[in-house]
Amino acid sequence: MKRRNFLLALQAGAVALALPKFAHAARRRFSLRYLRPPGSLPEDEFLSACIRCGQCSEVCPNRCIEYFGFENGLASVDTPYIIPREKGCILCMKCGDVCPSGAIRPIERELEPILEGVKMGRAVVDETLCLSFQGKSCGVCYRACPLPDIAITVGMMEQPHVTDQCVGCGLCERSCIQMPQAIRVIPNHD
Amino acid sequence: MTEAVAKRRFFLWRHLNKLRWVSLTTIFVMLIALPYIHVYQTFVAAHAYDFLAPSEKQLYDVVEFFTAPLSNDPAEDLDAIKGTIWAGTFFGFKLSDPLAALGQISASKGVYLPLLISALVPIGLTLVFGRFFCGWICPATLLYELNTNFAAILNRLGFPMRRRHFDRRLKYLVLAIGVVLAAMTGSALMAAVYPPAIIGREIYYAIALGGFGAGAVFFVFTLLFDLLVARRGFCRYICPGGALYSLLGRYRLVRIQRVVEDCNDCAKCNAVCEFGLDPLRDGFGQECNNCTACIAVCPTDALTFRMRLQDQPDQGPGHLGRHYRKCSATREAA
Repeated sequence: MKRRNFLLALQAGAVALALPKFAHAARRRFSLRYLRPPGSLPEDEFLSACIRCGQCSEVCPNRCIEYFGFENGLASVDTPYIIPREKGCILCMKCGDVCPSGAIRPIERELEPILEGVKMGRAVVDETLCLSFQGKSCGVCYRACPLPDIAITVGMMEQPHVTDQCVGCGLCERSCIQMPQAIRVIPNHD
Repeated sequence: MTEAVAKRRFFLWRHLNKLRWVSLTTIFVMLIALPYIHVYQTFVAAHAYDFLAPSEKQLYDVVEFFTAPLSNDPAEDLDAIKGTIWAGTFFGFKLSDPLAALGQISASKGVYLPLLISALVPIGLTLVFGRFFCGWICPATLLYELNTNFAAILNRLGFPMRRRHFDRRLKYLVLAIGVVLAAMTGSALMAAVYPPAIIGREIYYAIALGGFGAGAVFFVFTLLFDLLVARRGFCRYICPGGALYSLLGRYRLVRIQRVVEDCNDCAKCNAVCEFGLDPLRDGFGQECNNCTACIAVCPTDALTFRMRLQDQPDQGPGHLGRHYRKCSATREAA
C-alpha cells in the first residue's frame, strides 16, 4: 500500500469513528429547547426510526411542526420539532396518523390515549415571573390549556399549578403574556 | 419483409417516451401543488380569510378554485394526498420508497412492519419493471434530463462539457456505505443525499416553511456535477436509491430488447441513453430503467419490449447495417 493511500485510509477510519459522536453532539446543547411531535418515540429511537419524509408538518393544521437544519447535529437534520413559544401543538394527533415510519406513533384523539401516550414534556411555572404569583390575577395559561383541571389547576388569584398529567403541548407557553414567558415546557426526550 | 416485421411492433411503444414526460411533469407539478394545498388548508382551518394579507387571499382564492370541485370540507378532504415521492399518503394508503425502509431497518436495527408494507408496492413493481422509478417517477429525473438537454445546447454553442466515465458499480458502494453509516449513527442518513427525497422536501420547505434548506445546495451541486463532469453522473454513479432499484430489478420480467433483423447499427440508441448503456450490443443489464428513449429514437423500430428474465447475449451487427451485409456477402462468396 502506498503511503498516500494509507494516510487516506487512516483519515477515513478516524472520520468513521468520530461520526457517531459528532452526529449526536447536540445532546449536550441544553440551550436548544424543542419538542418532538406528540406521540414521538424517545429521542434515540426517534432519530433511527424517522425517515425524514416531511408529512407530519404537511398535515399539521396549526403549522407548528418545523424541520431542523444542521443546528441540532447531523443526526437530526430534517427531523421535525416544535418550539412551543412560537407555536404550540393543538393535540390533533394527525401527525401520528400520517407518519409512515412509526417515529410518531398513531394515537387516538381521545382523552385517555393522549394522557397515556403523549409525553412531549412538562410545563414548569416560574413563580418569580408569573403575574398571578405577583398579585395580578391572570390565568391565561389555564385558559389556553387543552386539558384544563387535568394538566393545570388554578388556586387563589388564578395561580397555575401544573400536575403530572401535563403532556407538554406548549399552548400555555405560547399564550403566556409575560416576556420572557413565566411558564415553560421542559422537553422530555427520553 | 422488413415492413411486415416493423408493423408487428405494438404502436404504443414508440410513444411511451412522451407518456413518460407527461408522468414526470405531472408528478413534479403535484410536488409543487401539495404545499400550496397545505397552506390553503391551514387558512381554511383558521377561519380567518378577512385577516389574510392580499397575497395570501390571492393564493386562497386560486387554490379554492382548483380544489372546490373535489371537496366539500377542504380542511379534511384535502388530507387525502400528502407527502412526496419519498413517502406519501394516497387516500389513506401509504407508499414509501424501498430505500426509506432499508434506511430505517439499518438505522434502528429492527423492522417496523407498516413501513415495510408501504414499500411493498414499489418493490413489487420494481421486480417486474426494473428500475422504472428512475425514469418514470423520480422528480429529480425531470430536472436531470432538462440539465442534459442544457448541456447539449451549451455544447452546440461551443462550450464543450466534459463527459467522463466512472465505474458504474460505485453507486453500490455508496449504498453499502450508507447502510453502514446509518447503522453506526442510528440515523437514516441516505435521505439527505437521495435527490427525490431532497426535491420533495425542499419544495415543501420553500413554499410552506419559508426557505430552502441545505438539501437544495446539495442538489445544485449534483446538477453541476452532471453538467461539468459526467453526463447524468449522479444517477449513473452515485445515487444509492438507483443502486437499490437496480439490484431489485436485476431479474425484471419486462425489458427492452433489440430485434437484430431490424437493426441498422445507427447507434442512435447508445447516443440517447441517459444511463450510458449499450443497446446497440444488447448491453442493457440491471441498470436499464425502461425509459423507452431508445425505442422512441430508433429509426427502424428495432427495439421493443419483451417478457424475459435475461438479456439476450450480443447478437452481433444489425441485419440492415452495412457491416452485416459485407459479412454475408463474404459468407456467400465462400
